[in-house]
Amino acid sequence: MIKAIPPAFFFILGAMLIPFFKGKLKQVYILVVPAVAFLDILYLTPGTSWVYNFLGYDLIFCQVDRLSLVVGYIFIIIGFLAILYSLHVKQDGQHIAAFLYVGSSLGVVFAGDLFSLFAFWEIMAVTSVFLIWFQKDKESLNAGFRYILMHIFGGCSLLAGIIIYTVSKGSISVVQMQPGFAYWLILIGFGLNTAFIPIHTWLPDAYPKGTITGSVFLSVFTTKTGVYALARCFAGTDFIAYMGGIMAVYGVIFALLQNDARRLLAYHIVSQVGYMVAGIGIGTALSVNGGIAHVFNHILYKALLFMSMGSVIYMTGKRKLTEMGGLAKFMPVTCVVFLIAALSISGAPGFNGFVSKGMIIASAVEAHMPVLELMLILASVGTFLSFVKLGYFAFFTKNPEISSREAPFNMQLSMILTAFSCVFIGLYPKILFDILPYSVIHYHPFTPSHIFGVIQLFMLAGVAFILAKAMVVPHRATILDFDYFYRMGGRGLIWLSTVPMSSFRSTLQVRFSRAVYIIARLAKNPIPILEIITAYVYLRITKGVRYVSGFSSGETYDEDLYRRPIGVGVLLAIIFLFTFALIYFIF
Amino acid sequence: MRKMLKGLLILLAVLSIPVGFFIKHEHAVFFWDKIPSIEAIFGVIGAFLLILATAILSSFAQKKEDFYD
Repeated sequence: MIKAIPPAFFFILGAMLIPFFKGKLKQVYILVVPAVAFLDILYLTPGTSWVYNFLGYDLIFCQVDRLSLVVGYIFIIIGFLAILYSLHVKQDGQHIAAFLYVGSSLGVVFAGDLFSLFAFWEIMAVTSVFLIWFQKDKESLNAGFRYILMHIFGGCSLLAGIIIYTVSKGSISVVQMQPGFAYWLILIGFGLNTAFIPIHTWLPDAYPKGTITGSVFLSVFTTKTGVYALARCFAGTDFIAYMGGIMAVYGVIFALLQNDARRLLAYHIVSQVGYMVAGIGIGTALSVNGGIAHVFNHILYKALLFMSMGSVIYMTGKRKLTEMGGLAKFMPVTCVVFLIAALSISGAPGFNGFVSKGMIIASAVEAHMPVLELMLILASVGTFLSFVKLGYFAFFTKNPEISSREAPFNMQLSMILTAFSCVFIGLYPKILFDILPYSVIHYHPFTPSHIFGVIQLFMLAGVAFILAKAMVVPHRATILDFDYFYRMGGRGLIWLSTVPMSSFRSTLQVRFSRAVYIIARLAKNPIPILEIITAYVYLRITKGVRYVSGFSSGETYDEDLYRRPIGVGVLLAIIFLFTFALIYFIF
Repeated sequence: MRKMLKGLLILLAVLSIPVGFFIKHEHAVFFWDKIPSIEAIFGVIGAFLLILATAILSSFAQKKEDFYD
């Protein structure tokens, strides 16, 4: 029987062959790779395979269980849909970066040891930055550098944690972590990718500046591998549960203030990932299932939101809500799929977000965490308000200056398929429940109180939006986040290096150069060193004494003071000759 | 048309409050779960709190677009 291959290999090896295909054949090829990878993952059975010994440790490239399978399924599905969305892109580099990014994310998911997990983790960071840099403008270049700097920090923390853990435990298995120094270092590494507050700033900074198609990939993989890693190693930690609640609320507050459409969506990633993190942190079977179900659903509707806003930017060239408006009549397909995605992320009944968000909130209640429940409900209200704002100002408000047409067919098809998935799971959640990590969970999303409660929450929040619309009208402005401190800290570091430290360096350089010069001169004839030092000290003292005593008459010239007495040299020569003769004659 | 839609939304929102008295929470755990139409209260208070938070945040964190340039 043929052994199933780790799905990561299809994308990583598949990326190498992309430059060899041209035209339509290339389009077919890049769609076939994820399709084959999906067939492969269907053949994966729980267990461990592709194990290689390295320095006495087992590197496991294919550890399969229900958790890795459900995340693997959605990674490949969205990989296919995002590739379909980017089918028109001509640059091979973008496709290669996307393939390597998807492949390395799958590598993380199926890694059974911390070493290979770390290796794939870093490949993910390095390849994803190219999806930002391919935008090829100054803003993207700078944002990409900030992105990679943050991820290098997270990667270093993760590596340090892994090394300490491995040395202390003697194992590299990806298992539940025990509190200790390594625990916190690894948590910082995972937390950075998961956009923990306040190390989340790379996300709303970089994602809006990626390429149109690149941002769709970016919205999916980095944060979700972070959630997956937390589920593997940190499930059931109160700190993480409340961090999730903070992320959920923090994200929506900042999202409500944004003018750049994709930056608004980026802050909603922080918020929605907060729900998942809360679910993982609560740690019960229902909450972990809810968190992972939310990973699955969020990937679909968030990718759809980035696709729809990407289409708007691609067709109109407008990125900001203050420049958009009235696009519903020009881009009806994009508008409808956007509304489906907006209803899904808001958690409206009949859409996929309703199911998974409900599971997480119900699990907070079940675990008797009232503050967390209220935080998650508050974030729900904010999510709904944000998307009413985004939809209203992008598609429905009047803008006589704008005109557009629908995006290319491949982009529309991808959006329609993704929208269909959101609705299908929303109406028939059993298909998702059947593949979640814990199989024996009884959760019924369609109860009258749940459906009615969500509708009522939205209606009243909608009324509040109408009444307070003026307060959330987008403005042309920058909202400072924690990145202010990092940027100012960075600028301070540059100032410290270029001004005081540089001045100190040049002073030292001058002093040392003089010292070297003096030593070099003295080394040519070391005999009179003592004499020169004595004369120098004498001169300084006499000068000082004269200055103090007020005696300022000119110094008398003493020719013996500066003349090198020849007698010393003659004396040394005689001593040398005498010693030599003595040794010669005696021995 | 827009005004009509707004009016309809407000009417439905108001009407939903008495309807909430007939719908009971299946698994009431906290005291607020037993309050009829609690989601309406959450909706209004939540929206108010968020708008207040954004107003406070923008008062000190809102800068010109080219702030970092």
